[in-house]
Amino acid sequence: MIAIDALPETDAARTYGDELSCFVVYAGGAMFGLPVDAVHAIFRIQSITPVPLGPPVVLGLVNLRGKIVTAVSLARRLNMSEGEPAHVYGVAIDSGGESYALVVDAVGDAMTCRETDRAPTPTHVSEARANLTQAYYRIEAGLLPVLDIDALFELNPRRSRHENRAQHEATHGADT
Amino acid sequence: MDDILRDFLVETNEHIEAAGAQLVELERDPSDREMIASIFRLVHTIKGTCGFLGLARLARVSHAAEAVIGRMRDGARATPETVTLILSTIDRVKDLLARIEETGGEPDGDDSDLIEALASHAKAMSAGAAPAAPARAPEAAPQSAQPSAASPAAHEPAESHAPRAHKPDSIRVTIEALESLMLLVSELVLTRNQLTEVTRSNTDEAVKGALQRLSSVATDLQDAVMRARMQPMSRVFGTLPRLVRELAAQLGKKIDLVAEGAETELDRQLIELVRDPLTHMIRNCADHGLESVEERVAAGKPETGCIRVSAAHEAGQIAIEVSDDGRGLDCARIRRKAVALGLASEEEVATLSDDDVCRFIFAPGFSTAARVTDISGRGVGLDVVRENIEAIGGVVSVASTPGAGARFSIRIPLTLAIAPALIVSIAGQKFALPQLGVVEVVGLGAESPHRLETAQGAPVLRLRDQVLPVCDLSELLGLEAGAPTAAREERLVIVMRVAASTFGVIVNSVDDVQEIVVKPLNAQLANIRVFSGQTILGDGAVVLILDSTGVAATLGVQRTSQYRVAPPVEPVAPKEAQSRIVLLRAGPGVSKALPLSLITRIESVDATQIETTGQGLVLRHRGRLTPLLPAAEGVQLRAFNQPVLIVGVGGETMGLLVDDIVDIVDAPLDIQIAQDQPGVLGSADFGGAIAELLDLAHFIRAARPDSVMRGVNRRFRILLVDDRLFFREMLAPVLTAAGYTVTTRESARAALALIEKGVTFDAIVTDTDMPEMDGYTFARTLNAHARWRETPIVALAAHVNEKTVAAASACGMRAVAGKFDRKELLRALDEILEKGRLSIQTLEDQILAEVGA
Repeated sequence: MIAIDALPETDAARTYGDELSCFVVYAGGAMFGLPVDAVHAIFRIQSITPVPLGPPVVLGLVNLRGKIVTAVSLARRLNMSEGEPAHVYGVAIDSGGESYALVVDAVGDAMTCRETDRAPTPTHVSEARANLTQAYYRIEAGLLPVLDIDALFELNPRRSRHENRAQHEATHGADT
Repeated sequence: MDDILRDFLVETNEHIEAAGAQLVELERDPSDREMIASIFRLVHTIKGTCGFLGLARLARVSHAAEAVIGRMRDGARATPETVTLILSTIDRVKDLLARIEETGGEPDGDDSDLIEALASHAKAMSAGAAPAAPARAPEAAPQSAQPSAASPAAHEPAESHAPRAHKPDSIRVTIEALESLMLLVSELVLTRNQLTEVTRSNTDEAVKGALQRLSSVATDLQDAVMRARMQPMSRVFGTLPRLVRELAAQLGKKIDLVAEGAETELDRQLIELVRDPLTHMIRNCADHGLESVEERVAAGKPETGCIRVSAAHEAGQIAIEVSDDGRGLDCARIRRKAVALGLASEEEVATLSDDDVCRFIFAPGFSTAARVTDISGRGVGLDVVRENIEAIGGVVSVASTPGAGARFSIRIPLTLAIAPALIVSIAGQKFALPQLGVVEVVGLGAESPHRLETAQGAPVLRLRDQVLPVCDLSELLGLEAGAPTAAREERLVIVMRVAASTFGVIVNSVDDVQEIVVKPLNAQLANIRVFSGQTILGDGAVVLILDSTGVAATLGVQRTSQYRVAPPVEPVAPKEAQSRIVLLRAGPGVSKALPLSLITRIESVDATQIETTGQGLVLRHRGRLTPLLPAAEGVQLRAFNQPVLIVGVGGETMGLLVDDIVDIVDAPLDIQIAQDQPGVLGSADFGGAIAELLDLAHFIRAARPDSVMRGVNRRFRILLVDDRLFFREMLAPVLTAAGYTVTTRESARAALALIEKGVTFDAIVTDTDMPEMDGYTFARTLNAHARWRETPIVALAAHVNEKTVAAASACGMRAVAGKFDRKELLRALDEILEKGRLSIQTLEDQILAEVGA
């Protein structure tokens, strides 16, 4: 397993004021951003133990330096078909007190997204996808959706629907 | 809540448990001044601390109780009313403590009822004790004149001695600290396992030696941390005298309680879990087991009935027994009831032995009491006891002698955090299946007498006289869509028992037996009930842990209506009674035999899978190399379908090449003719067939010398006695490095004290020249007791000469070694213990204990 522990501490890897540092990852042929602060390590996945009867987005369990982490496919999480070659890199992320490996097809550079480049949510994006996205930024290669880590690893649909409603009521009032 | 208050709560709760037990003792022997003094000190300490912490209610109650106990200390006799009154005070104090723990402060309320009762009792006591008081305790007279005001002050001097007398040799550690230590040890054990796997092919002696040391240190550390989590059974036993006292009063019976083995230690997690079952069985004994005074007298028994509770360590488990000397179980009535409840037909019941019939009392809804009583008929039956015990991987059984009493026995594991598990393959994926509840493994291959059948569209296994529901795990887990039938036939059925139901699960193979560290699944996967956790194996692979209860539930195995009388699972070694023996042919001559319990699985291999290396034959199978040995000279090597018995010690396996598997029989392991031939223990009659019992130890030593070192040798426990720290520190590591578990003591007396407690050793190494009691006297003392005579003793002498050898031999010592001659010491131990190791029983026990450890 190749672990990229010491992430290069360039200017891009830090957050200054209204800037956000992101790793660019690829899944299902599309490009996504992950906040650098949330990422512990990026490693090449050697083997995955499947979890029978588990949700489809869970590819299985991975041994990350003696610690068991749950591997979640980013492509499947976003209802996209997986690219070729699939399941190559794991991005180690903690969420909700648990450890995960977000499985992506390829890993790109770290880049800095400025507040001034922020874009509104494109109209063609589905609500489900929008719920998993924290913000959109205009970058050279196009529009980069930066994913919402906690929403991403909320795999239990019933609970997330409930929470969505709670959030909805909190922001819009319970009058609906 | 501040720290002082929290410490006070913890400490006081502990003391109060102890006080309850002491008071009941006191009622029996009111002249025990030491005990009165100890109870007095306790109550006084509570009172003093409460005043300091501003807990007014507690202070007032304990003050009133102190007055009564003060009278007792001054010589007044404790009547049953006194004890009842003080017990209810203790209850009140406990309630208050519980409320303080919840809210951080004292609840509002009034205790004047209790305080008045205590005060008037104290007054009555001082009046009654007045004539005796001056004679026993002269200073008591002025106190009785002004009871409440004078007593606390007057007792202050006595109290000031207390701390010195009770100097603690322990410190308080939070549970979290222990848990995090445990977690780290688990990680260390995993890392050790991985390292062992990685360096398996490494031949560098330096690496191997260091790894072996690391391995033994990790094991010792695991033991030590496990022990630190242990608590003595006295935490549960302490509350029993009071329970029995109350039961006796309610039932109008006379009952004595005898508790043994209160110092036996158990994982703290488990200690609370055995409390309820134990209490329930005692209620049951008092209510149903013991007769009334009249009945006992009529039967020629003493008026007072006896309930005996004991706890002891046995083969890596805790054995708890509750017995009474009452009327025993009424088997005729149990038979009728079993038929009435539809648990068995009249014909079945008639053929069952009394012992089998007794087990029905653990069936759901079974209560033999003709009337529901207040004591044991609270809607909780023995079935709940059984379920609770089985839930923690234990077994419960009962034995009864009509007219002489009944005995309940519970066996539970020492801990739940680390479990031995079978590593099984299902459709190409590995899973861990904890050995708890695994009854046996049955092959479905061509040579197996067992077949899968279909009953009402569902697969069943006909196993001897039972028909068991069977679950194909690959289907249950959705892993495989229609494998070829041929492959299906070669699979194994693992027979499991969960609660009262027995069922089989089909797997492709059992690859290994490993000790796994159970880790919880990610919370978002925890709803998959066929898995109970996850773990990392020695080779770094992540596997899911199958949950037998969850599998049973998914399978829809009914547990209420289908209660069967089945023998309890015996996870320990086969007892002298019947063992399952595999009869086989290997080479010319008579058949050979091997206990099935020692065989991990049976493989059918082709010649292409077998390779010859410098070390001998090696089986290449599923990417693993397993050393092979012929089970006897003259085994024919075939091109195809050669049966190989895979046997394993502590996760390392080897194979025995045989010609044919002939039969599997149930027969006692009873060697009639011992033999000197290597590889054979002796001949025996196995159900009409004469066969030679194979000496598995011989083959394992030949094929896997390291595993014997680790697996078998390590189990030998040595007690090292020497008055000089220097020699203890020099020799203990030598013995440890040689694979022994060493306990040291600094004098013969301390060693005897340890042995008298029931701690057993495989051998004792003692210095001959020690002050107080020398090594020769020590050896003679041990030899005078039948129980310890068998334990070999090795003398350590400064100089070995004819005189020391003669003296040692006269005292029954087996060998003498010079203090600086460690080679000789190791050689002597090796020789002595080697002889012990060759007995079948010990070997089986050790191997199974290792596999199941």
